[in-house]
Amino acid sequence: MNIVVLVKSAVDEAELKADPSGHPLLKGVSMKMSTFDMNGVEAAVKLKEQNGGTVIVLTLAGAEAKKAIKEAMAMGGTKAVHILAEAADAPDSLGTAYCLAQAVKRIGAVDLVVSSEGASDTYQGEVGAMVAEFLDLPFIAYAKKVETDGVKVKCEQGLMGTVRVLEANLPAVVSVVSEANVPRYPTLLQVMVAGKKAIEEIPLASLKGPDYPDTGTEVLDVSIQSASRKKVLFDGTPEEAARKLAGALKEEGVV
Amino acid sequence: MKIFGAEQERVLGSLYGAEAAEVYSALLRSLSLVLEEKVSPLSLALDQGNEEISKPRRVLFDQGVCKLPHATEFGGMGVPFGVYALAMELAAVADASTAMSLGIHNTVADAVSRFGSPEQKKRLLPVLLSGKKLAAFALTEPTSGSDARSMHTKAAHEGRYYVIDGSKMFITNAGEADLYLIFASMGTGHGAFLVEGTNPGLKVGKPLKEKLGMRASHTAEVRLVKCKVAEGSLLGKEGEGFEQAKQLLDSSRIVMGMICVGISRAAYVAALAYAKGRDLFGKKLSDMQLTREKVANASIETNASRLLCMHAARLKEIGKPYSSEAAQGKVLATESAARTCDAAIQLLGGYGYTSDDVHRHWRDARLLTIGEGASEVLRLLIASHELEREQ
Repeated sequence: MNIVVLVKSAVDEAELKADPSGHPLLKGVSMKMSTFDMNGVEAAVKLKEQNGGTVIVLTLAGAEAKKAIKEAMAMGGTKAVHILAEAADAPDSLGTAYCLAQAVKRIGAVDLVVSSEGASDTYQGEVGAMVAEFLDLPFIAYAKKVETDGVKVKCEQGLMGTVRVLEANLPAVVSVVSEANVPRYPTLLQVMVAGKKAIEEIPLASLKGPDYPDTGTEVLDVSIQSASRKKVLFDGTPEEAARKLAGALKEEGVV
Repeated sequence: MKIFGAEQERVLGSLYGAEAAEVYSALLRSLSLVLEEKVSPLSLALDQGNEEISKPRRVLFDQGVCKLPHATEFGGMGVPFGVYALAMELAAVADASTAMSLGIHNTVADAVSRFGSPEQKKRLLPVLLSGKKLAAFALTEPTSGSDARSMHTKAAHEGRYYVIDGSKMFITNAGEADLYLIFASMGTGHGAFLVEGTNPGLKVGKPLKEKLGMRASHTAEVRLVKCKVAEGSLLGKEGEGFEQAKQLLDSSRIVMGMICVGISRAAYVAALAYAKGRDLFGKKLSDMQLTREKVANASIETNASRLLCMHAARLKEIGKPYSSEAAQGKVLATESAARTCDAAIQLLGGYGYTSDDVHRHWRDARLLTIGEGASEVLRLLIASHELEREQ
């Protein structure tokens, strides 16, 4: 079976810092495959290992996404398609989903599209569902288990302490959550081989048809939410401090 | 702590060019993620004897670290030696004992690769590079370390066998290893022998548990008592053993130097984080001029050590003599690591003195001004090269 896995090149959240006004300092911050997309790739590669076929890594981003693509390829991607969009032309979620869907159509004979629950930098969690809509395919969201027999896809969805089992005909689109699996670490040999695999590049403009959804959405500002802490220190002997702490917690209605 | 960063990426770029550096950076970045998640968290427990070294070493074997510099014909990856040396720096940031155990093992793989017969290469390289077999390098003796030429272990050619008698001391991986590379005197010269750990004539002494540092790696005496090995166990030819050992040590010194770069970084980063958070006299410790002097010195010495070791690695890759540069890199890296780790203890004050997690770096670094060529002997070697050059 042919599986397309959607991958985003995201800022490495471990390197993220903010200026005093709370605006992220992005200069010099490394890019990498979105952390949650590693679960998407793992799910796709596992299905390929069980059913045979191919895993095509698909992304829409600038040249910097090459690193994320190679990370996904090292995990077991068969080939990669890179929709080249420089930062100035980068579409919003709807435009991104439209272009990804067009690329899936161009790839052709795709049985399953896998996305993650959201990107580890912006976490909008919209693109998977939108791609399904543009492709007019069934969509199963937040799957924590994915199985397929090549005809149908069966998923488990965890919802508020319950588990819902859903099934859809293939072709379909599925988004997986981080509980779905533990992403594998590729060996150094797999990383090296992935570095040599060809990446098919598609210019963004070539995918935009007359029905391209130009919503005019713009990101005007991004700032980091800060949570303030009371930072209360209780002095005295350990017993006295513990009594004061318990009293304060009761006062706050915490216990 | 991010184990692979911009410093290493820049070194790769300057040595190998942008395109190749991108591939090598991807390799080392991927390795560092594994080290951060699977090896670093074990390091303190390894030092304290609460974890077995086989666990993190298996992680590195499975990643393919030993395969990096070896030819693809026998399961290697054919990557430049310098990339492997950088990988060993990263491994040592995560855990120095594990890196050293692996580095010594790979010196034996290097020996088979350089001097082995086609049969030995075919039989041993795949299992050594994948870590199915662990190896130990046995040159030092109870009464000869740096003066290896005066070794007392003897090998006699008897029919279709060699019989080895003697004792080897401070052998890393002893007791765990499946294969030992034993150097022995043969009258007119020396020989190197590949001896199976199961050979009844090879006895491993009690583990040396009271080591100052590198506590997770197994170290012991190896005794050879009428140890009979087939003729095919000889590496290369009779009489070549000492020259083989010299060449292997040149290469291994680069690795040991890079391990010390890794140890320095681990100590330095921990001390820096502490200094940035510690308040005193209404300032942060990191704002004090004398702290900044320590930070600057650590940075200068760590970077200089890496560059000198990588320069030696590059000379090796392009087939130029590198014996002196490898020794210089090791002397600088090992001695400066001890200074950097000492400065880290000083910055952390009482916490530095009383916490294994701080002083273990100094204890680990301290070995390597002694092992694989003591600093004093390496200085003699460096001076000899310089004097020859001047003639």
